[in-house]
Amino acid sequence: MAKQLGFHIDQNYCTGCKACQIVCIDKHDLPEGVRWRRVAEYTGGAFTENTDGSYGAEVFTYYTSISCNHCADPICVKVCPTTAMHKGDNGIVSVDPDKCVGCRYCEWACPYGAPQYNSQVGKITKCDFCADYLAEGKDPACVAACPSRVLEYGEIETLRAKYGDTADIEPLPDPSITHPSLVITPHRHAQKTGYGIGELANASEL
Amino acid sequence: MDTQELPLVFFTIMAQMSVGCFVVLGVIHLLAGRKLGAERVDKISDPALYAIGPVMVVALIVSLLHLGTPTNALNAIRHLQSSWLSREIFFGCAFAGLGAVFALCQWRKWLTPLLRQILAGITALVGLVLVLTNAMIYMLPTVPGWDSWATPVTFYTTAFLLGSLAVGTAFVGVLTWARRSGNELGAELTSLIRTSLRWIAVASIVLLGVEFVVLPTYALQLSQGGSAAAASAHALLYGHGVWLAVRLVLVFAGAGLLGLLLNWLARSGKQKVMTYAIVSAFALVLVSEFIGRLLFYTSNIRIGI
Repeated sequence: MAKQLGFHIDQNYCTGCKACQIVCIDKHDLPEGVRWRRVAEYTGGAFTENTDGSYGAEVFTYYTSISCNHCADPICVKVCPTTAMHKGDNGIVSVDPDKCVGCRYCEWACPYGAPQYNSQVGKITKCDFCADYLAEGKDPACVAACPSRVLEYGEIETLRAKYGDTADIEPLPDPSITHPSLVITPHRHAQKTGYGIGELANASEL
Repeated sequence: MDTQELPLVFFTIMAQMSVGCFVVLGVIHLLAGRKLGAERVDKISDPALYAIGPVMVVALIVSLLHLGTPTNALNAIRHLQSSWLSREIFFGCAFAGLGAVFALCQWRKWLTPLLRQILAGITALVGLVLVLTNAMIYMLPTVPGWDSWATPVTFYTTAFLLGSLAVGTAFVGVLTWARRSGNELGAELTSLIRTSLRWIAVASIVLLGVEFVVLPTYALQLSQGGSAAAASAHALLYGHGVWLAVRLVLVFAGAGLLGLLLNWLARSGKQKVMTYAIVSAFALVLVSEFIGRLLFYTSNIRIGI
């Protein structure tokens, strides 16, 4: 068993195809509007007019696939009034549906939008790292589905040793708030959290 | 405007008003009791006290409507160590419970007056902590529109503003009912009600001042913050600017203009006009605070994604 599982995302090769998002919905049979894994599109820049009358494009877009980061200091667990939200085996943060009261406080608090309300059952649901697949020795569905092999998972300390410790990339929040088990290999145009000049292009999809 | 959190709007406003009423009533009782004797003051304060209970109980019941699985509601106090929501439920129930015990003792004249007073003091303290827990729930580092000193200040202002005006309304209710039923209260109690109304008017004008300082300061701070903070400020000032204006006009008319009129009427005017003034002041401020709380929930814009 791992001490703490986490994800690595290489932004350079993510094309924003959303295969990870779709396979997650399929695997967990999520109702409409519930998306445990989402792909944020961060975009910015402007067109500039050159002296010869031609136009240059100083624009950028990059994608970040995000589910739950199974944080070391999960704000959802801290604020949950019922203790339904908890940290379990492999450092996975999950909801105990028998305890959840459906108050949606975790949804307000999580800066990654990980806990999501399922109105059909009146409870919060979220990424469980495909714990059933892990038990069978299989990869999480999102990792297995990525055609660009952008997503990787494993013991977070191993991932950090391999790829560094970057998670403060726009549009993600300051990682010091929850200490996410997340490592990002930044896109060449990636903007540091708090210093971004772009905006979320698909806020309604997140 | 977003009305998704309507149950929470009702819950927080009613709970805060209950706490405000209890504390204001306690202060009046304490001050007036020294001069007139506690038992005589009971005659006008007890009916107001009994009215607080149902409001608080309804507030707690309405809060259940916010839950997706109300049948699991009892689980909501399992995380007192770290969740302000658990603490809110705990202190909400404690305030309602202690208040009910106190009201029962007061009604049946159980215990000695001193012991009842101590019980009321503890209940008031628990109520004031309840308002603090109300506010702490929203002090999330991930929601800059809520994570502000303005949240607790506003919640306490709501409690005392609505509390004072509600107590004033209850007092004129007692006065009117006594007159209609032919059991005049007597000169001393009538004059006590008038004095209370004058001070309630002063308190509401001061609290109006607090709101008029807090709001622009908070909005200014918010608009200078990060993108989520600025988005909250924009939603408040532009997106829902009309509602904000309506709220400010109502609270100005209710707490300010009618406050001045009430202060003057309570000193000199006829009882009937005085009754209209306090009742309409309470109604206007209640609607204003209600809109204000709806706006508060629309500033729920999170950092991150």
